[in-house]
Amino acid sequence: MKRGLLSRVRVLGLGVLLLAGGLLAGGPGRGLRDAEAASQPIKIGLLYGITGFAAIYTKPAIHGHELAQAEINAAGGVLGRPIQYVLRDDKSSPEVAVRMANELLLREKVDFLTGTLASSVSLAVSEVARKNKALFLVTIGKTEALTSDKGHRYAFRVASNTLIEGRQFAELEKGTPATRYYTIANDYEYGRKMIEAFVDHLKKVKPRAQIVGQAWPKLGETEYTPYITAIQAAKPDVVMNLVYGDMFIAFAKQAKPYGFFEKTRVITGAEVVSTEMAAPLGKDMPEGILGNSYDLFYWPDTPEHKQFVKAYLDKTGESFVPGWAIQGYIGTYFLAEAIKKAGTTDTEKVIDALEGLTIKTPIGPITMRPYDHQANRGQVFGVTTHSADHPFAILKDVRYIPADGFWRDVEEIKALRGAK
Amino acid sequence: MDLSIALNQCLSGLTRAGILFMLASGLTLIFGVARVINFAHGSLYMLAVYLSYTFLRLFGPGGVGFWLSLGAVAASLALIGGALETGLIRRVYGRDPLQQLLLTFALVYIIGDVVKFVWGITPKSVSRPPFLEGGIPVPGGSFPVYNVFVIALAAAVGAGLWLMLARSRLGWLIRAVAADIEITDALGVNVPRLLTLVFMLGGLLVGVGGAAAAPLTAGALGMDVEIVILCFIVVIIGGAGSLLGAAVAALLVGLLESFGILLLPQFAVVFIYALMAGVMIVRPWGLFGVPGRS
Repeated sequence: MKRGLLSRVRVLGLGVLLLAGGLLAGGPGRGLRDAEAASQPIKIGLLYGITGFAAIYTKPAIHGHELAQAEINAAGGVLGRPIQYVLRDDKSSPEVAVRMANELLLREKVDFLTGTLASSVSLAVSEVARKNKALFLVTIGKTEALTSDKGHRYAFRVASNTLIEGRQFAELEKGTPATRYYTIANDYEYGRKMIEAFVDHLKKVKPRAQIVGQAWPKLGETEYTPYITAIQAAKPDVVMNLVYGDMFIAFAKQAKPYGFFEKTRVITGAEVVSTEMAAPLGKDMPEGILGNSYDLFYWPDTPEHKQFVKAYLDKTGESFVPGWAIQGYIGTYFLAEAIKKAGTTDTEKVIDALEGLTIKTPIGPITMRPYDHQANRGQVFGVTTHSADHPFAILKDVRYIPADGFWRDVEEIKALRGAK
Repeated sequence: MDLSIALNQCLSGLTRAGILFMLASGLTLIFGVARVINFAHGSLYMLAVYLSYTFLRLFGPGGVGFWLSLGAVAASLALIGGALETGLIRRVYGRDPLQQLLLTFALVYIIGDVVKFVWGITPKSVSRPPFLEGGIPVPGGSFPVYNVFVIALAAAVGAGLWLMLARSRLGWLIRAVAADIEITDALGVNVPRLLTLVFMLGGLLVGVGGAAAAPLTAGALGMDVEIVILCFIVVIIGGAGSLLGAAVAALLVGLLESFGILLLPQFAVVFIYALMAGVMIVRPWGLFGVPGRS
């Protein structure tokens, strides 16, 4: 009897302590809390595959985010508040990304979400954003669905997309004499969608074009010799390649002694010719292949671009700016400018401000299309060449091809979304 | 499909089979003798590829550098294999197989992190040595000289292994331990030292296979899991513990992959898994394995 009473008192005492502690931790009076809120950081959740195969792209992107963040905060922040990035590793897995996105929104209470590289991850997080009515700005994920049939009010993109990319490559084929085309892409969302867009547009600009074969190696494949011999057996004029990253390293090295890149003209998407890929391959990077990139550290020769390059190199101490850094940089500035324009971090008002917003970037002005939330992000195209000035291949005949004219018409997107 | 295409696919399948055999032979040997399922085998392959990158930069990309690097990688992996055995694996001999699995699985994560820490996140690539570049003219085009080298190397490794196991005293002792570890021990053989030697041999084989594969692939995070699955498929099909099984299974898998990609590209991967499933149903101990051992 005595023991029971004591334990009940103990529980009551504990409860009182907790309550008191809670009140104390709740903080001082309201007035002081409001003043603190003004200098409270704007928390932005940053989701990328930091480990595994995506790291080679996400690490420079994160540096890009951090560079923009440092510049903005040094100038006083946004609405007097510093930007704070909360980074989480999505392991390039949609399941992990969804968990991380929920944690960022519900536990870390971030104001906005950004990042994601893998198309499947971007789509999964987009759903989380929609359910939670949180603004999600995609910096790298390219599946066109994100801003067309699966698009919604809360998803935005500053990357190019699979439809733009596929159509751009097909458009470049318009004046060429080639008729026999073979495609090779890894078998997943990005590969399938881009090639689909390429083939559709190719047939429009060049009705004589024949697709003599299509190879779909699995994602992560590093054994390409059987594909190489199969492709050569079909005797194509052009090979449209989308195999990227370390998979492309294996592909290029295995293909070289077959004279693959000399016997057929190879065009390659997936930013395979950007410097981060050219550097490990060194002299094994094939010459004369046409490819695209988000940014080249040696082009264009404008003051804004040179300033961006210098700032990045100073900050990271690296020897060149990887092509992906600019995506994190641009993404950060889009969010910052939208918040400034809205005058608040309220999601609905920031979304309204972001729609139609044009910002200045190191590669020129970029605008966020209001209806589908796809920025008119084109890419730089060029042909690989080995240079005495660098230990890796760079691009020559460089030009920027904009998204305008290649992205899906708004009317079409309206129809797609309405059809659901 | 004409003859020249078939020939090319055959040769590319043989190249793949060669690498797979060199890797799977180590795995099957370790299982046959020590009864350990080494999940970290793929991680050792990853280490071998990354070490090739480092040694080739040290010794230079020429012919001499290539051979020195190959030797250095093989020796390093032999040492690492032996160290893993004496330090960690021997503590789980005879224990619940789940414990063994867990330990070697943990090693996968540990080695993966070590690689990331030492070499960073960017992929690492090495080139073929100049004396193995170029192609040999075959009907329908040319076949890479380096691939011929890989096939020859795999054959030499296989022959050397077989000779060692069949004719040398060491091989005889290894076979004895594989057949019955308790009696061999009772007969006065230093079994613990032999087990260490077997792990060193397994490491050596992975080292040679990895160094040979390096100029054909990229050192990248995540490659360890990719290859270990294929190695296990080869060992299961061939029969755990059988060298001949590893050779035959590697050939089957390599050729199946090559022709599968040509004939039914959507199902190329499925063929291999179908073959494994078939073997597991009809002959669960593998084509050349011993019933009751797995």
